[in-house]
Amino acid sequence: MEALRNKAKELLAAGAVKVVIGYGQGTGDSRRPVFVHSADKVTDLVFDKACTQNLATYLTKSEVRAMGRMAIVAVPSTLRSILQLAAEKQLREENVVALAMIDGVMKDLSTFDAIEETVATVPDAISEADQKVIDKLMAMSSSERRAFWADELGRCVKCYACRSSCPMCYCERCTMDCNRPQWIPVASHAIGNLEYHVVRAMHLAGRCVQCGTCGAACPVGIPVHLLTFFAEGTVRRQFGQKGGASAKLDYAMSTFKPDDKEQFIR
Amino acid sequence: MSRVGVFICHCGENIAGTVDVAAVAKAALDMPGVVHAVEYKYMCSDPGQTMLKDAIKEKKLDGVVVAACSPRMHEPTFRRTAEEGGINPFQCEMANLREHCSWVHEKAPATTAKAVDLVRLQVEKVKRNLPLNPIRVPITKKALVLGGGIAGIQAALDIANAGNPVLLVEQSPSIGGHMSQLSETFPTLDCSQCILTPRMVEVARHPNITLYTYSELEKLEGFIGNFKATIRRKARKIDEKICNGCGVCQQKCPVKKIPDQFNEGLSNRPAIFVPFPQAVPNKPVIDVENCTYFKTGKCKACEKLCPTKAIRFDQEDQIEVHDVGAVVLATGYKTMPVSNFPEYGYGKFKDVIDGMKFERLASASGPTGGAIKRPSDGKEPQHVVFIACAGSRDRAKGVPYCSKICCMYTAKHAMLYQHKVHGGTATVFYMDVRAAGKNYDEFVRRAVEEDGVKYVRGRVSRVYEDNGQLVVKGVDTLLGGEQVEIRADMVVLATAVQAQDNAEELAQTLHVSYDPYKFFAEAHPKLRPVETNTAGIFLAGACQAPRDIPETVAQASGAAVKVCGLFSQPTLTREPIIAVVDRQAPPVFSNCVGCFLCKSACPYQAIEEEAIKNRNGDVIKTVAKVNPGLCQGCGTCVSTCRTKAIDLQGYSNEQIFAELMSI
Amino acid sequence: MAEPFEPKLTAFVCNWCTYAGADLTGTSRIKYQSNVRVIRLPCTGRIDFMMVLKAFSRGSDGVIISGCHPNDCHYTSGNYHARRRWMVFRDLLDFVGVDLNRVTFSWVSAAEGAKWAELVNETTNRVRELGPYKEVQQLAAVGIE
Repeated sequence: MEALRNKAKELLAAGAVKVVIGYGQGTGDSRRPVFVHSADKVTDLVFDKACTQNLATYLTKSEVRAMGRMAIVAVPSTLRSILQLAAEKQLREENVVALAMIDGVMKDLSTFDAIEETVATVPDAISEADQKVIDKLMAMSSSERRAFWADELGRCVKCYACRSSCPMCYCERCTMDCNRPQWIPVASHAIGNLEYHVVRAMHLAGRCVQCGTCGAACPVGIPVHLLTFFAEGTVRRQFGQKGGASAKLDYAMSTFKPDDKEQFIR
Repeated sequence: MSRVGVFICHCGENIAGTVDVAAVAKAALDMPGVVHAVEYKYMCSDPGQTMLKDAIKEKKLDGVVVAACSPRMHEPTFRRTAEEGGINPFQCEMANLREHCSWVHEKAPATTAKAVDLVRLQVEKVKRNLPLNPIRVPITKKALVLGGGIAGIQAALDIANAGNPVLLVEQSPSIGGHMSQLSETFPTLDCSQCILTPRMVEVARHPNITLYTYSELEKLEGFIGNFKATIRRKARKIDEKICNGCGVCQQKCPVKKIPDQFNEGLSNRPAIFVPFPQAVPNKPVIDVENCTYFKTGKCKACEKLCPTKAIRFDQEDQIEVHDVGAVVLATGYKTMPVSNFPEYGYGKFKDVIDGMKFERLASASGPTGGAIKRPSDGKEPQHVVFIACAGSRDRAKGVPYCSKICCMYTAKHAMLYQHKVHGGTATVFYMDVRAAGKNYDEFVRRAVEEDGVKYVRGRVSRVYEDNGQLVVKGVDTLLGGEQVEIRADMVVLATAVQAQDNAEELAQTLHVSYDPYKFFAEAHPKLRPVETNTAGIFLAGACQAPRDIPETVAQASGAAVKVCGLFSQPTLTREPIIAVVDRQAPPVFSNCVGCFLCKSACPYQAIEEEAIKNRNGDVIKTVAKVNPGLCQGCGTCVSTCRTKAIDLQGYSNEQIFAELMSI
Repeated sequence: MAEPFEPKLTAFVCNWCTYAGADLTGTSRIKYQSNVRVIRLPCTGRIDFMMVLKAFSRGSDGVIISGCHPNDCHYTSGNYHARRRWMVFRDLLDFVGVDLNRVTFSWVSAAEGAKWAELVNETTNRVRELGPYKEVQQLAAVGIE
């Protein structure tokens, strides 16, 4: 953590970055994002096991970008998000430096190549607990699964926290916000909720870094991250391509192989 | 507020016999936005179209739905009528009440209900149709003809004579194709080369034709009017400009034993060779696989002896990129190899030959000077059996179709044989005699009545060698299935006509469709036989389907006129069914976030980057932009876009949404 | 006595192959059940999964999606992109408990008129057995629509 604060101080003092996006002490045991603009405020930055939220979402907000060159405290999923954002031309290499925190060790990475190399060394699997739930769901019957999701999504109030917290949901006008035509109802709706989450998962398939921040952000505790994990997992399994692997675009849903195999098309 | 007119066609009894058209018209009038709904017997007829135009004017309609046959049938017709009536043609839609309704369902209330639904779907769509204007694209007025056989030659000459430049690309060292290998052509028994070579020379001399032989198409990019063709000009190893065609190199080349492809292996040729004496261009080429110098580094006899010093061993292939506006595919055919017939000897019997080999025997400029001689011992065969339909019309051989030309050339071969070998007997085993062209049947009759060719209706089950002769075992079905055995000196198989070996690869390079037999697919089997589904690429000759010379020449001229028609306009008008990325007022500029996932999905590379700048020249954001000349309107980008900043004109999100909402 | 249940099917088809194939069914006068409503699109690549969701929430009991065979797409690769999208979408639908028997994917070429009729009949019969898509239809009417 000291190494992190020192680096942040160094970058800010030199004017190399205008803002450091990191984790700060929240109420009780929680952590929340902080934006440090001056070298004397680096003590606001903390880092420990509770710092799991993927902060990369702030790299896409225009108010943050307008601040100037950004440094970001990056857990592995944040690094992957940076790569995916770069692949989608949302980040320029000269505008961001990642302060990677891997196993408690800080590494500052200022090129996408360096980030790619680092990311390749970190294992990329979803948590055991999440995998267990997905496996349990797949073992159920179709109607049992439907009941499960109806129950969960019945609580969804369409706060869109999941969307706001996701780094890959950076569209200025989300498809939900388009009302000509309005494909999916904006407000909470028994069918609309399911449609929204399914669409979001589809939009993330091939781009998701499986950070789980969307599920953590949900105020009513719906495991929405399982849907995006599942969609991303399907892409990885079927096509061998994944989100966040490289700063060069390799999007599974806009590429194809003539011999993609499926069994269900007559 | 929309003012939509609905016109329900009876199509005689085709629709009205099954669908209650009056009820549909009544229901249509109740649909929101519909101000006029009528039914009529034949909307596509002149009075029907006049009624449509009048209604548009009188009722001030801004949208029209014609509920009739399939839009694939008459959408262009009614769009033109609507335009004549005063509205934008893209504000006319068709509801398919015939192919998708009256023709496939029984007369029932459910069928009429479906008809009403189909009309409502289109009404909802047309209310969201925006007027679209055709896109004008510049045209490069130069044609690329692929293939230098009679089809390519004819097409090239016709296009060039109309004043347009042509690039004719042929993969072998000379133009002429299979026709140059033939001896005499049916039904006139004209000497094939005598009628072909003047055309070949005309091609070589024509000021508008650039001839690239020994060249291949590597890549074709772009779209109609604006193609970029990458041509590989293979190295002949000769400087064509200074070679004077004296032929010393061929005489002195020490490698003499390479089977001559032009003569179907009946004779040999040297490693440096001109394919045949009348070749155009009459310049040799070095076969590097068989040349001593290229294999071992020794010899160089040709270089030493060439009087003009035209040999260039280190010549490399040249790649050239040409801009062309249209492509004519005239790459021809091949015949099924004799090795494909286990029942006729796997190609191992020297005297079981195919039609093309017989042509070379019969040809006056062939390896035997026109004398019919057995390939095995050079003797004149006294008994020749011709087997028609060898491979054709045979599912077991993978060729269920008829090869069209074999009945005629088999009769011709039999006649030529009888003319050259007066005492000989010719027997033709046939299934049917297909002689449908002008003077064709009379020709076959001559073979039977004047030249004494014996026709046996039946198939040949086996041919085998016995003591220097061939035994042909067949059957005569007209004699009740009586077994027939003939001891022959030579057997000629009329083998099936097939697509070239590289046809599939070429079709994929050009994005042209092909059928299961690798013949290139025409846009419509009846009404558009010289076009492909790929705009700007046309077909001529046997690469599309087996055909004889008169039909090939006719089709080649047909393709040529399509090309000339294209080139006769100052610009090409394209359908405006294309994708468009939205633009908004500042500070949004566009809903596009510049992720360019659409760009990677587009099959035509039609999406470009556009930097939106402020007055100081700083880039505010980079967004996607569709090139209207390249976009073909598939809509893959639209479904890839998460934010729906890109939309497809003519099939927009709003239109599809409205259709879905109406079900 | 209530009328027997007749399923409502929406079909998303591509203009060049399946729509033409369905036209051929008509020209050949092959009969099939009349429950399907066809939405014509230029290419299967144009089919957005939101359209499929909308079809269900608007009351369709079953959905048919059909286009050109691989390698035959009029726009060269639209159907390949569509295929990939469906591979992921279908698995996801299954994960959230949508009955996959209600969605049929197929390749029908312009020459396969008989296949189209067979496809529609088979799907109609299958969806008729499954009954109306109550889980969606009852809830869809609630709230904003």
